[in-house]
Amino acid sequence: MTSSKADTTRRPWRRTRRWSVIVAAALVAAACGSGDDSDESVSSDGAAETIDGDNAEPSSEATTAGNGSDDPARGGSISVGLEAETDSWLPGEGQYSFSGQSVAMAIYDPLLKRDVNGEIRPYLAAGIEVNDDLTEWTLTLRPDVTFHDGTPLNADAVVRMFEDYLSTETSNLGGDGQMGQVDHVEIVDELTVTYVLSEPNAAFSDVLSGPAGYAFSPDAADAAGPDAGAQPVGTGPFVFESWQRDSQLTVVRNEDYWQPGLPYLDSITFRPIPDVESRLQSLIAGDVQVLSSLTADTAARVAELDGVTDHVHIGNSTGGVILNTLNPPFDDVRVRKALAHAVDVDAIIEVSGAAGIVEPATQTYGPSDPYYSTEAAELYPTYDPEQAEEHLAEYVNDPDRSDGKAVGEPVSFRYDCVTDPINREVSQLFQAYWSAVGIDVELREVEQATHIEEARSKDYEAKCYRMGSDDDPYRDLARTFYDSDDPYAYTGFTSDELKSLLDQIRVEPEFEARRELVLETSKIMAEEVPQLVTYNTVSTVTAQDGVSGITDWVFPDGTAGNGAPNTIVMWAFVHTAT
Amino acid sequence: MLRLIGRRLPVVVATLLCVSFLTFMLTSLLPGDPARSILGEQASDEAVAAVREDLHLDDPLPSRYVRWLGDAVQGDLGRSFRTNEPVLDTIAERAPVTLEIGLLATAIALLVAVPLAAISAWRVDSKLDRTIMTATFGMQALPSFVVALGLIVIVAVRLDWLPATGWVRLTDDLGGNLKTAILPALAMAAGECAVFTRIQRADLITTLEQDSITMARSKGISSTRILFRHALRPSMFSLLTVVGVQIGAILSGAVVVETLFALPGVGRLLVDSISQRDLMVVQGLALLVAASFVIVNFLVDIAYGLLDPRVRENGGRRRRGSAYG
Repeated sequence: MTSSKADTTRRPWRRTRRWSVIVAAALVAAACGSGDDSDESVSSDGAAETIDGDNAEPSSEATTAGNGSDDPARGGSISVGLEAETDSWLPGEGQYSFSGQSVAMAIYDPLLKRDVNGEIRPYLAAGIEVNDDLTEWTLTLRPDVTFHDGTPLNADAVVRMFEDYLSTETSNLGGDGQMGQVDHVEIVDELTVTYVLSEPNAAFSDVLSGPAGYAFSPDAADAAGPDAGAQPVGTGPFVFESWQRDSQLTVVRNEDYWQPGLPYLDSITFRPIPDVESRLQSLIAGDVQVLSSLTADTAARVAELDGVTDHVHIGNSTGGVILNTLNPPFDDVRVRKALAHAVDVDAIIEVSGAAGIVEPATQTYGPSDPYYSTEAAELYPTYDPEQAEEHLAEYVNDPDRSDGKAVGEPVSFRYDCVTDPINREVSQLFQAYWSAVGIDVELREVEQATHIEEARSKDYEAKCYRMGSDDDPYRDLARTFYDSDDPYAYTGFTSDELKSLLDQIRVEPEFEARRELVLETSKIMAEEVPQLVTYNTVSTVTAQDGVSGITDWVFPDGTAGNGAPNTIVMWAFVHTAT
Repeated sequence: MLRLIGRRLPVVVATLLCVSFLTFMLTSLLPGDPARSILGEQASDEAVAAVREDLHLDDPLPSRYVRWLGDAVQGDLGRSFRTNEPVLDTIAERAPVTLEIGLLATAIALLVAVPLAAISAWRVDSKLDRTIMTATFGMQALPSFVVALGLIVIVAVRLDWLPATGWVRLTDDLGGNLKTAILPALAMAAGECAVFTRIQRADLITTLEQDSITMARSKGISSTRILFRHALRPSMFSLLTVVGVQIGAILSGAVVVETLFALPGVGRLLVDSISQRDLMVVQGLALLVAASFVIVNFLVDIAYGLLDPRVRENGGRRRRGSAYG
């Protein structure tokens, strides 16, 4: 209990500052894959910080930023290098990747947002309440908030957003996990609406903290028609100015922002730079002052830079292997455990270029996340070839072994992964570890679409896959581990205990109680091993010295926010040096 | 000249038809359900079915091809799945970027290559010639991404003369536009320049060995005059062919360069559209690129006629080697 308490106060990112001297030639060399020395230096430093956590410092910073006692400078303009472009900025039409969600935080305000402890609270909204049977979520709005075009943000606007955009047939937020679960939205009064759900859901508020909760002006969207996605109008700290697709998007300060004193910057230019190397060089050359990176190997690279601050976040999804538990041999937990025990995940991390940035995962939740279970971490089968051999021997010598083979015959299966140089190396490493304990593994490379299709139809034995999600745990767990027939339940694994836990989570609105239940599900995952986890996703926001406030945002009531997970930055709070 | 065009045109049309069919097949033969590829793994089966219907994916192949070709001829390449914009508009918005750096690169390459080749050919096997040949050999061997990264690291990061990435539109600011265009153009020009130099040098050497040149020399005409007035023009055929191919192939170079320099051009659009399974844009781009390739080569054929009157008279059959021989 003490340890999990500590978890909740730990912030989901860490800050590092390095002053190593590098030469440009070394960067080019590192790009070619030779970065052993550099990886090592990050390792000692980074690992220690991840484990220790960092309780006091960031939250005190958050308070100073909130109070304004530190007087961050007003004015200034920055350019931000992003990993990817976004297709459309209209919620419901745009496929918001993490890069897109970050830009959205300049133009829009989310109705709700996660705080430092992972709990969802009102941000743009004034309050959110749910009725006892968890079917009616009542949202209160702040008075006197207007969109950039002057349209007031009121109950009518929320209903129009829902009816005309978010819940339409073409809306990508119209699915059951998103706005599809809302039967209708009722106007209670000028500033109050009720989302009436078709089924109870204790985690509905999570939906409103994502793109479905980005408030956009329905008037502006109506007027722009098919061009609405290219002319976003929100309530956010910055007003959209111009966008040249795949080149740059510029926003300027919203002089009438509803949060007094914010934002600090005059303007921000967001620039998608797809190539990792160019993105790094753009930061070094000063073309961009802030850089977001979504991969562990890039995190290792930016950690080497001089005169910058890295804000690293370990996310709630991991790479790994999904096992089809509906068919032999993976219907037997002994084989699944053997597979996990056989692999040295540190070597996988090394091959992926992520050494020193991440630790081997034991569950999908990151070590500093409130949902991280220390018990599951102990239960998960880690590298131990002897134990792997023991489990295997038990299965192989079992006359009733599920794959129907003769006693003593080795376990064999096919492992599929998507064609990609790093994937290939990782697959070969898996194969080597599994062969070492006596398993016959055939490797197969597949095209992405086929890979997904086979996973959905459970037409596979073992596949490389990305698992977990940064959404509310219930949304991911319910579709993956509740109903074996669900196409999204790739492993086909479920159990009565798991189902009963998920049933409870679905109707449990209390954060702490939900958390306890989620921790229980993680224990089952660690014991039943329907999937092997390698390492958690890593995201980094790197800011040149002189640019601060990347993770220091607070709610209007002063509660500390959750930093900049997955490079989603609250731009209103970012400022240049005093 | 008209006869030449008359002979070539049917071949061009037939080639374009083949190209359009292959382009169409290309996307139909990809593994997996295109509709699922477009929508992603979380889409419902109903949504996938709706997209299949929208794209007429359940119709027989020939009728789909005819429908698509009919629309394409009228300038309708469909709408992008990513942005919902018409494919043609999406391409038109980016084409100027790619054309600008592509043409700038070819111009730089020619400006450097032609004089270098002339010097080399005039002093065959001299130290200077060997130096130039070694240098161009090296340049040809360097992949464009290495050149691009080298330029970024040296010119943008160390010297801080030009921005490492980004694009300023020509219509917004001419100076700013050139600043953002020059490094990508240089990165593309390096390889082209090497190829141009080597080809032009080889042709010049052949020409310079011919009787007409010996005659000119014996008349006491100056070296520069012989080189640029008498030898250059008859030595342009191979270069012209390669320049034509290079202009047609601007896009393939642009894929790498635009990604590295973060330019909003057609090459980048192709990469993004492939990775995001934007089938309609990939199809439209492949068609346009193939068509421009065919058309540029058609223009090159016509240019032969302008360079050498005998090509016109033969109706397009050029006899290489016999020229001035």
